[in-house]
Amino acid sequence: MKRLALTTALAASLAAAQPAAAQDAYVVGLSGALTGPAAATYAPVIEAMRAYVDHVNSKGGVNGKPIRLVVADNQGEPSKAAADAKKLIAQDKVLILINSSLSSTYAPMIAESKRAGVPLFYAGAVCPKETYPPADPLQFCSTAFGAQYDSQMAMGFVKSNSKEAPRVGYSAMAIPISRGEIDYAEGLAKQMGMTPVDKQVIPPPTPDYTPFATKLKDANPNWVYSWAPWVTQVRTLEALRRLGWKGNYIAYAHIQSEDELERLKDGDLYVFGTNAFFKDDLPVHAEIRAATHRAKLNYPTTQLTEGFIAGLVLEAALKGASWPPTPQKVLASMNNLKVDTKGLRGGPIEWTKTNHFRTKQYYRVYRWDPSKNGIVQVKDWTAIDV
Amino acid sequence: MQLAVNILVLASIYALIGCGYVLIYRTSRVLNLAHGELMMVAAYLLLTTASLFSGHPLTAFVASALLGLVVGVAVYVVLMRKMTGERVLAAVLATVALGILLRGIVVLIWSAQQQYPGQALGWPNPALELPGGGRISVAAATLVLTTAAVYASLFAFLRYTRWGIRMRAAGQNPLLAAQRGIRLHGVYALAWGLSTFTGGLAGRLIALDSGLEQTMVVIGLKALPAALVGGLDSLVGAIVGALIVAGAEVLLIHYVNPLLADVVPFLVLIAMLMVRPWGLFGTREELDRV
Repeated sequence: MKRLALTTALAASLAAAQPAAAQDAYVVGLSGALTGPAAATYAPVIEAMRAYVDHVNSKGGVNGKPIRLVVADNQGEPSKAAADAKKLIAQDKVLILINSSLSSTYAPMIAESKRAGVPLFYAGAVCPKETYPPADPLQFCSTAFGAQYDSQMAMGFVKSNSKEAPRVGYSAMAIPISRGEIDYAEGLAKQMGMTPVDKQVIPPPTPDYTPFATKLKDANPNWVYSWAPWVTQVRTLEALRRLGWKGNYIAYAHIQSEDELERLKDGDLYVFGTNAFFKDDLPVHAEIRAATHRAKLNYPTTQLTEGFIAGLVLEAALKGASWPPTPQKVLASMNNLKVDTKGLRGGPIEWTKTNHFRTKQYYRVYRWDPSKNGIVQVKDWTAIDV
Repeated sequence: MQLAVNILVLASIYALIGCGYVLIYRTSRVLNLAHGELMMVAAYLLLTTASLFSGHPLTAFVASALLGLVVGVAVYVVLMRKMTGERVLAAVLATVALGILLRGIVVLIWSAQQQYPGQALGWPNPALELPGGGRISVAAATLVLTTAAVYASLFAFLRYTRWGIRMRAAGQNPLLAAQRGIRLHGVYALAWGLSTFTGGLAGRLIALDSGLEQTMVVIGLKALPAALVGGLDSLVGAIVGALIVAGAEVLLIHYVNPLLADVVPFLVLIAMLMVRPWGLFGTREELDRV
């Protein structure tokens, strides 16, 4: 009798260890930097995606089935991302792997994705070139910023908005993706007839940005362009202002930028990005507010657009995979996808077999207007062909 | 002039953080690898006190500083006290585990997003024009003055007060000190409290100057080479080490390559280890014990 009870208990515990009702849901696995030094950039995206998935499930799910989002925290570390990807594929049998983390975590996840033939979707993580045409068959990206296209937009804006010949200073974080982009922008500026005057590549954990800003200021730029995580962009600007520099500063509009424009109240700071600000007050913004309010998220609503867009894309990708789903069905759906972003972007996100980024990249430019005491649009949606 | 100001500010940051490493090491021979995390927690406490004492920034600052002291003492009482009598390596590993735990707790309580305690306190941070053309922010100037005040107070405390003399005695010969009636646990708890208090001051002032997020942990670690260069059991060494490391860092950023900023502290440290492994002002016999 005792043995029977033990066997029953063991069987019950083994059953509990199985992925919970995997066959009754679209199972999606995410490995992201929920904690760690890079968490400020990625955690809000992950939380917003989670809220979006809850929102979809509360309305009946996709094709009548719920989405189960399995989230693992890789802290921005490649070894943890590798372990997450293995576990998500082997144990949770996910249909899609999602990466919301630093680019250093890509390689191990790509390897696992290729081994298992499971699509890899970058959400809130910088789009690698492999998603641009001709795209890698398994890698997809909905993230707002795109290397090279961003600098084309920024340098074009600097050139067309300069009253005098642009002397451009650059600020990057000492990580490959940021350095590469700033090098590209420097070359682009020369091609466009502008003068690059100095470039500061700043290590991520820097206690004081003033020594870097001092050198930048000494080069006497009238514009400074920064394409880096927000912390580097904003701290370089603040250090420059403390040193008395009065030029124009253009930076990428990361998820924090709307709140930051309001905090800094700097009329000469321009941010360009692909997501509409909440100050535009679109109907979809009310939807995001409601969903995040229900989920009781710990982050300001203004930081959740990117995760919401990733949720829209995920929902559309799963909708195209009829029940019972397989990674191959989801892949086929992702290769022929058009997602209406409801005004959050300048146009739809379109993926084809050869383009897993988007066919057009749309940008808006915002700044703080001291005379209006508020954020204003400086330039409406501008499209760049991909 | 601006270069001199930059060196002074960076050296003050390293020195203020570094004295926390020194205080614990010279008293108990434990290298506290959770110092960066404790500094970060103390800085985050300022956010909590800022909301508790809304409209009273000075009260909020003082309350968070005192809380930092309490956190340091609590870490000793709850965790490090149990490590007494164990190998030093076990105690160091315990601090590593503590650091990981604290990083998780910070995200759970305050989230991972960038925070601005200065904004929460309503403290503006304008730049001050210095004679000679240099500029410094109010928070950075406060940090320099605070570092000077902390070191002056610590020298006086260790030389002239009863508890300070007890701390020195416990550091020099714990067995003899215990036999003379000094309560070692009390002394060690005080060292942990003071270490977190001073590290927390650095964390808060850095946060007031440029914001607060999780990379503060790494800033805490960057100050360790400065303390090691000066000698891990010497407060004077921590100041000199901080000046050397900060000077090398700022000058190389300006004249050679900004990318060197990350490696300079460790290059200086390696050079020092090759020439004088116990540091400029460290005690040679202490190294043998390590």
